[in-house]
Formats: sequence, C-alpha cells, structure tokens
Amino acid sequence: MTAVVGERVERSDGVTKVTGEAVYGVDHVEPGMLHGKILRSPVPAGRIARLDVSRARLLPGVHGVYTAADAPAHRAGWLLREQHLFARDAVRYEGEPIALVVADSVEAAKRALEAVELEIELEAPIGDVESALAEGARLVHPEWESYEVAGPEQYPRSGNVAAETVSDPDPAAFERAFAEADCVVEDEFRAPRQYQAFLEPRSAVARYENGRYVVHTASQYPFNVRDRVAQFLGVRPSDVRVVGHHIGGGFGAKLDASLEPYAAFAARAVGRPVKIVNERAEDLLTCPSRENAIVRLRTALSADGRILGRELECLMDNGAYSGEMPFLASVPMHVLGQVYRAGATRVTTRLVYTNTAPTGAFRGVGGLYLYFALERHMDNCARRLGIDRREFRLRNLLSSGDASLTGQVLEDADILREAFDRVEEVAPWASLSGRPAPEGKLRGVGIAACTWLTNPLPGSVTLKLNEDGTVGVVTAATENGSGAVAMGVTQIVAEQLGVRPEDVIVLMPDTDAAGYDAGSQGSRTTHIVGRAATIAAAEVREKIFAVAATMMEAAKEDLELADGRVFVAGDPDSGVALADVALAATFGSGPISGTGSYTTKPPAINPSCASGLLFPAFPTPTYHVHLAEVEVDPVTGRVDVTRYVVAQEVGKAINPDGVRGQIQGGVAQGLGYALFENIQIVDGRYQERRLETYRLPLAVDVPTVEIVLLEHPEAEGPYGARGVAEPPIVPVAAAVANAVADAIGRPVTRLPITPDDVLEALASPAPGG
Amino acid sequence: MQLRLTVNGRAHELDVPAQATLLDVLRDELGLTGTKQGCNEGECGACTVLVDGKAVDSCVLMALAAAGSEIVTVEGLAAPDGTLSPLQRAFVEAGGVQCGFCTPGFLMTLTAALRETPAPSEDEIRAAIAGNICRCTGYTQIVEAVQAAARMEARG
Amino acid sequence: MPSEPAPALARNAIDFVDARHVHQALAALDAYGGEATVLAGGTDVVVQLLQGLIRPRALVHIRRLPELAGVASGERTEIGALTTHWELGTHPAIRAEHAALAQAARTVGGRQTQNVGTIAGNVVNASPAADLLPALLVAGAQVAMRSSAGTRSLALERFLVDRKRTALEPNELVTALSLERPGPRTAETYLKVGRRGAMEVALVGLAARLQLDDAGRLGDVRIAVCSVGPTAFRAHQAEAALTGSRGEEEAVAEAAQLLQAAARPIDDVRGTAAYRRRVLAGLLARAVSACVRSAMSEGGRGRCS
Repeated sequence: MTAVVGERVERSDGVTKVTGEAVYGVDHVEPGMLHGKILRSPVPAGRIARLDVSRARLLPGVHGVYTAADAPAHRAGWLLREQHLFARDAVRYEGEPIALVVADSVEAAKRALEAVELEIELEAPIGDVESALAEGARLVHPEWESYEVAGPEQYPRSGNVAAETVSDPDPAAFERAFAEADCVVEDEFRAPRQYQAFLEPRSAVARYENGRYVVHTASQYPFNVRDRVAQFLGVRPSDVRVVGHHIGGGFGAKLDASLEPYAAFAARAVGRPVKIVNERAEDLLTCPSRENAIVRLRTALSADGRILGRELECLMDNGAYSGEMPFLASVPMHVLGQVYRAGATRVTTRLVYTNTAPTGAFRGVGGLYLYFALERHMDNCARRLGIDRREFRLRNLLSSGDASLTGQVLEDADILREAFDRVEEVAPWASLSGRPAPEGKLRGVGIAACTWLTNPLPGSVTLKLNEDGTVGVVTAATENGSGAVAMGVTQIVAEQLGVRPEDVIVLMPDTDAAGYDAGSQGSRTTHIVGRAATIAAAEVREKIFAVAATMMEAAKEDLELADGRVFVAGDPDSGVALADVALAATFGSGPISGTGSYTTKPPAINPSCASGLLFPAFPTPTYHVHLAEVEVDPVTGRVDVTRYVVAQEVGKAINPDGVRGQIQGGVAQGLGYALFENIQIVDGRYQERRLETYRLPLAVDVPTVEIVLLEHPEAEGPYGARGVAEPPIVPVAAAVANAVADAIGRPVTRLPITPDDVLEALASPAPGG
Repeated sequence: MQLRLTVNGRAHELDVPAQATLLDVLRDELGLTGTKQGCNEGECGACTVLVDGKAVDSCVLMALAAAGSEIVTVEGLAAPDGTLSPLQRAFVEAGGVQCGFCTPGFLMTLTAALRETPAPSEDEIRAAIAGNICRCTGYTQIVEAVQAAARMEARG
Repeated sequence: MPSEPAPALARNAIDFVDARHVHQALAALDAYGGEATVLAGGTDVVVQLLQGLIRPRALVHIRRLPELAGVASGERTEIGALTTHWELGTHPAIRAEHAALAQAARTVGGRQTQNVGTIAGNVVNASPAADLLPALLVAGAQVAMRSSAGTRSLALERFLVDRKRTALEPNELVTALSLERPGPRTAETYLKVGRRGAMEVALVGLAARLQLDDAGRLGDVRIAVCSVGPTAFRAHQAEAALTGSRGEEEAVAEAAQLLQAAARPIDDVRGTAAYRRRVLAGLLARAVSACVRSAMSEGGRGRCS
C-alpha cells in the first residue's frame, strides 16, 4: 500500500497557483458587475452633523449611493449585536463605513465619494485603554446596556469595559503567598497591534437572485460570513449563500465578514452584481488586527526558586466594536497556568472599548503578548533569584496530570520537559549562554515555552465516490494557504480510500452544498476536518466492500482497499479496480457516498474558576519550546536573529513540507511582531498606514528555522494529528525579547524591539540584582 | 489613449486611460489576473512582471510608459503545451507555495534573476527577492525552490 | 497623511507626452508652464500620483531619451540622468571610484525599484532620506540642467533647497550628474540605518570620503548625511575637525559632536530625533575607521565596508 500520510505530497493547488490561473476573491468577476466603494469616516470619534449624497447620486456612472437611511435599523455582530451597517449619528473609529457608492467603475465610484457632503461634529477620541478606563471617561457606547448578546447569556461587561474575566479562587491563599515570599517581582509589558498583512486585500462580490444573496469571497469562515450577512440584512442564514475562492492569506482577519454585507446589500438595492475591493491603506486601517495590550505580572517567589503565587492583570484594546474579542478575554487565564506552576493566583482581564478600528483574531491571538510578558517575567524572576533562566523554568514546569487554572487536566504536559530536552540536544544552553560576541556586537540567547490549543469547533465532510474511481470531497473547510486542505485533508482521504492524492477532488467551500465548518482558525482544520473525513471514509469503505464482495464473491471482512483497487487481504493482484466498483454501485445499489462530522469533546474544567470565561478550555493541547540567538549592534541598535530553534509537538506530521512551512512562516510573522511591525496610535489615528511604514519581514531578515518535531499521537486526531499552524508564532517574541535582554543586559518590556528602544536601553544604567 | 504592447509574445493595440498603470491594463483590459495587486505603491512586489527582460513593479509603471515594450507575466512562463518552467515546478515541489498570492511576483523576479545569475548563492537569492513580500512561507522553502530550479537548469 | 481616499482622476484627465528627444521634452515643459511632471522610472512620481499628492496636468515621459543615458569617466565622472540604481550599483567605473554611490544605489528599494529608478529621479525628488544624496555630496557632485533657454550647472549642495524642494525650474530637465574622481589613498563608504535588511527608507544615512596624505593623516575629508534634516547635507564643521588627524578617537568624538550639532532630526513615524542623533556618533566613528583602514591598506582608491 502506497503510503500517503506522512509523505511529502505536492499540494493539490500548487500548479494552479504557479501558473497564475487560481482565482482568488479579488479576481472573481461576474457579468454585468458594478463596483462599490465605501465612504469611511475620516475621524476617530464624532457625530454625523450632515450627510448629503444628492450630488454624488447624480454623477455619471453612479447607480446608487446608500447610507444608514437606506439600510436596516437593527444592529448585528458576532457575539454582541452592537453595530449598524452604516454609522448612524455616532462615528466610533477612523475608517467606519458611513456610505456606499455603486458605480460603473472604481474610478467613477471614487469620484462620487468625493462628491458626498459629510460634516462630523468632532468628539475627543478615546484613543487608548487607560483613557477609556479613567474616571469620568466618555462612553464609546452610551447605549451598551441595550445591546443583545448573540449567544446564550450575558457576560460581564459595563460602560467602556466590553468584557471582563476575573479569577480569584482563593484570596486568603493568594495573600499568604505574597506575604511569605522571599522575593516579589513585578513587571509591566506593552505590545502594539499587529496587522495580518495578507497579500490579498479583502474583497466581496455579491448578487441577489431568486430571493437570495449569493456572495463570493475569499473567506476563512464562509458560514460565519453567511451568518453576519444574514444578520445585517435581517434575513435567515439560509437566504445567503457564500462561495469560497483561493484565499491570498487570512491569518484570522478573514474569519468575520467585512465587505460582504455591503456588497450583498448593494446588489439587492441596485439589481446587479456588485464587487467591492479594499485598497491596501483602507484594508490596513480597518482590519481586525491583533489587539494592543498591557500586561502586568507579579510573582511571589521562594528563595529556592519556587513560584508561590502569581497575579496577572491584562488590559486588551477591543477597538470600537467587539467582534469575537470577548472570547479572547479568556486567553490570559489559560496562558498563566498551562506551562509553569503558578501557585495561588489572581487573574483580571478587561477588554476595553476605544475609538479605534475593532480588533480581532490574528494567528496566536493574545498568546503572543501574553507569553512575551510571562517569559520576560520568568527571566526577570530568575535574574532576581540568581538562578539560571532555563533551570528556573524546569523547576516550575508543569507535569502530566497537572491542571491549568481553569481546572483542565493537561494529561501529557510532560511533553514540555521533553521539548526542553530536545532543544538542549541541538542547542546546548550552557555553551550558548557564555558564547563571546563577534567584534563590535552584543550577543544573547533566549528561551521560551508555550502550550497551545487545537480549536474544537465542528466540521463536516461528505465524500462521494465518482464513477471513474476518483473521490469528491464536499466540505466548507477553507484552504487559507496552510495546506490543511490541499495537503492534510486530501492526503487523509487518499490514504483512507486507497486512491492517489491527485484523484481526490475537493470542492471550493459553498454553504449551500457543504455542512457546517468553523473555518480555518486555531489550527483546527487537519485535526477536526481530517477526523470528520475519516468518519465519512469509514462509511464509504463499508459500502465499497459491500458491492465489491458481491462482485468478487468474497467476504466483506476479508477485503482491503489500496492503490485504486479492492482486493482480498494478502493478495493485492486479485480483486477489482475501484472504478469498476464505483460504476457497478452507481447503477446497481446506488451512488456511493459517506458523511462525517466531528467536534472535540470539551475537556472537563472547573466551571466556577472564573467569571466571564467564555472560552473555557484549550482542547487538544500542544507543547512547544523556542530558542533564539541574537546579535545586537550597539551603534545602530539593530537586532539580528542569528539562530532560531523550534521544538514543536504535532501529534503526527501528515505532510512534512506542510508542517515545515507553517513553522517557518509562523516564526517569520513572530519576528515581524518582535522587531519590525508596529501600529502607533495617536489620538485614535494609526500612524503607520501603508506597507512603506508598516514593515513586514523580508527574505533578508528571516533566518532558516531549525526544527525538531515531537510526534506523540493524540488519540482523537486523524493518524494522531494535533493542530500545527498557530503555535509557531506564539512564543517567538518571547524568545527573541529574552535573547535581546540577555545581549544588552537591560530589561525589554515593549514590542516591537526597535533600534530606538535598544539604544535608549543601552544608554540607561544596568538594573541592579 | 492608444497603446501598443506585446504581452507574452502577443501584440496588443489598446485604448487605455492616460492614468492607467500597466497593472490595471494587464488585469482589467487583458484579463491576465495572474499578476496581483497587493499594495499599489511598489512595496510588496506582488505585481512584478518582466518589461524588456527586467523585473518591474507594474503597479507603479504607467501603462503608456510601457509602450512598445515586451512584457512577460506569469501566464507566459509555462510552455504552450502547459509544461511548467523549471522554476514553477520547483516552487510546487519544494513547498514554496502556500497561499500563492505572492507567487507570480516571485516567479517573475526570480526568472530574471536566474537568467542573470544561473547559480546564485543563498545570500544572492535572498537579496534578489528583497523586493517581494511573502507573508506565509517565511522564505526558506522559496530559497530552496530556487536552488532546486538552478540545479534542474544546470542539468539541462 | 491624508486619510481620505486618493482623488480619482477622470478618464484621460492627464496628458501623457512620450518624448523621444530632449528638445521635445523641453518644449512640453514650456508648453505646460509648470503644470507638468517629468516621469522617468516613476517609482516616486507614480506613487505620488496614485496617492493624490501631486496633480499635474501632464506627464512628460523621458525614459527613452538617448541623450540622458550613459556613464563616462573623463576629468570628472559624468553620469547620465537616466542611469538606474542597478546600473550605478554594478557599473565598474562607479564601483571602482564611487563606492559609496554604488553601495547606496544597492539599498534603494528592491531590485524592481533599482531596475527603473534613476539617479536624477532620486536627486530631484529630494526626499530628506534620499540614499544617493550623501554619496553624491561627498563626491562634490554638480547637477547639469537644461531648458529651452540653454544649460546651467549647480553644485548639488546648492541644488538642494529644502525638504522635497530643489533649485530646478519647472521648465528644466536634469541631464547629468558629474562627480569628482578620487585621488590616491582615498576610500569612501555609505552606511545606512534601517529596521529591516532591505526596502528601508533610511532612518539615518551617512557617506564618508576620506583621503590620506603621505604621512597617513586625513587630508581631504567629506562627510554627508541624510534623514537628519530637511535635506541631505555636508557636515563641513565635522569635516574640519577630522582634517589633519589620523582618525583617532578624540578627533572622531569631536567631529561627532559637531555633526550632531549640525543635524536637525525630527521625530517621525519611523524613529525619534533622539535616536537619530545617538546613532550619528557611532556611525561616523564606524565610517571613519573603515575608510582609514581601507585607504591605508589598499594604498589607492578603496572601497570599504
């Protein structure tokens, strides 16, 4: 049997991408299509005093100009219904949609935008979380109490606090820990927004036909887009059909709807298909970027290096609307207790409204700044105690059977120690710690560990056996570039049904044809959809064997399926071609197909561990250790990452090239976060607005990552596979920051670590013991 | 205004707005959507095409400024029978393609670079692609693809 | 930075003059009376056009003008206005005698920008961060210009008037840059500071050209910087402090202080004024020591890193 899982199989969409044939969301066109452009608020906060579109409506080539007056009056949103389609009266962030022009061409639409008369009475913007929380601060949402939750129940929120998670399980033990500590270490860390910066800007093409909306979009989560379009337009979800395309990167930004509700609304209003595409500047300005945050940590330590107690306070910038952020307010609590013992703890997280673009999910979500904070803090604790940084970590590492702060038992947490050991084998800490720097440079080494999850949300797959022996795969799972579908799911189906990967044909996502899938997020696709595919495959195999048994006059139980043939086990040259079985079945017992759906069983947790914990567990955990070596130029402050090592637990590598690509790519994004990418916000306005100033890592900036894979199969995963794609980005800033702090002998408490920050740090005195 | 260009070996006579860029013309007038718009400011390289053999960001080249030139886009790399160029094949085999949106730009930049330097070092490869952004791969497998293509070409 | 969408140009709202000879281009510039923009490589002009930062009535396309191409080494090095960054970075005469210029050209954007961007474009755009300017300044560059009325030439130092403003008249074209060829025991370098390894608008740029006399002392010293003032400039006082020294620490420190005093950096989205000032000192020391080493070891025209 030709093995496919675990092999370097070419991705199924490689050729169409290298020839330029692949049709991405931005490439999709429809006959009679018109072009939409959104008029966006030029200011972060205010009230619309005048909005007159009459002149714009009369311009040549313009088919319609729409505002709140034309749109439904109700509110929509992922978790909290707080947003109108167009701003009505209140404007809450720079870039907020106020009107939509539909015209013959993009140029005509832009001219019409200029002709819209808009006056806004400015309000002093609430530009950051501390201002929003200040005594007497203006409310970003004065009507916050009237908003409906789209889920089962209300969650803690009030005023400018969009969501709050508080965990204080044992105040007495907590006080004792700090009172008895030999040493208390306290730190504060800050991290900026990070823009996903996928190469393909967001887009949508919609038409209205037969009483339904049909939306073409390169979405990571078509069912979510369907729901949001339906919400905004006040129709049933099934009145909306979302069709997917090749996606030019998403990294979380394309999980929620963005332009789709506008294109759909316009298509119905104007009676023709409408296409809307973001220009890069507007995409950057309005993208649901990774939130900026402030993290404060306090640890009570014993002299012998044990952690007695920990306090974490996290302030997350929600931006003007919540999206899925309230779920992410749970992440700090998970991070604090799933790698190192934390003793007696208190965790407070506040997600705070500001007059800035709504923030959202970007690969690794808040894990990046949380592990940055935690791991910088660990280094600081070790330094204060006079204990080696790596040794201090090992002393406080969780073991299998330990529980995180939510009560979730981490059955295989011993993998963390193994990951440290595996990194040690290729990058021995003692030899790296003392290495002299090259002439004129400073050298440092840093280490960081993290535990991450595999998102548990449901997925489904239908497999149909075509008469020619090829296999059709109907799923709404999205291939965002990671290879989870073009490699992962494809290879799993190929191996399960004994066909070549080239004979597995996966349909583009279509919410009319496929069952629910929760999208490419949280590294879930290979694990969840792969598992659903094996369930579907089992049904298909059953049916194949039933038909083949009759054809071959053999017993079903004796049959095997491999290399496009059904044969009696042990006698591969016997038997029949799968195509013959398929043909016989189609016109005999009936066409063969099978369906599977899967969602991870939620791990048991302690439900009273915290209030407001909307995301209670980190299911199917994975364990990782990263090591970074840097050289710092004390003249320019530039940081060069000279070596980067990753030890990652993957369960089972379905495709080694795919796994390597996710690790190398995730580390590159993490380096961008650590060193180059920054969105400075002043009075609610982004200072970096284009790719010239929002600097993405280039080929000359990213080292080749040394990869050590750990493969402890996970019982529920297809072939034991766990989620792979998110974790590589998560501890990168932590490892690099630790290395830089080691190199310069000064604290690093902010990201990105700019040359500016390095020189300023070097100019200040070294901290005492 | 009238514009004459040769694209992938085929001559075209077009009427284009004066302010159109070559990227606009390739995508909208000629329907060659393999060349992508990533930033429209000459920063990301997704729009790279060859103009008289040189890699150029088509988003910052006025279409009328390309009059009389020979343009090659990603659609012009494979042979007429569909056989991929060694570089295209290497990208697929080496894992140099993830989302693929940046890929056409990289292929054009590297097609010119390999013609100029058939056996580039790793540093030379990375310098050659400094004007092309990839957000997915972290570049290593792209470098490996180029090295594999160079070896393929050397073997003849 | 404007936050509104870039103003759209109506179809054919701009004229496009595809010049084939210099006199054609000059005639067009005269005809449009200051409302035409010259277009060569376009890597600055087209970006500005697309973002609505400039709104000319016409583009005068000069990329094919044969009179403006070519590099020649005579009494001075003559570089045609249309010489691209790539050509500057690879031309043997420029690499041999104007190493700082070759190095600088290799840092302007990526290969795509270097393939079409031109020396004159960089000079006329006169960004405070223009990479070629420090190297041209230390080479004592002269800017040759032509209009329908005739020709004239101006030292680059005087050509650069202010941030993005030059002495070029609306009806003039830059035709060439001419550079002083170096004497013996001369070395030069361009050091650029940025956050990434490429595609950076310089946070600070410094070019140095030093000539040693027979006794190993610095005779002809030229230092020029960019991104620490509205234009790139020669740091004459710092140069004077180094002249006659052997590049020792004290001389360099004194020169660095004078350089910092002459600099007028600002805080901007890329970096702070404080950072820029801090970096200047170390950068000067690095440039001087590298050039001194190179000039001494190679004993002639040197390229140093």
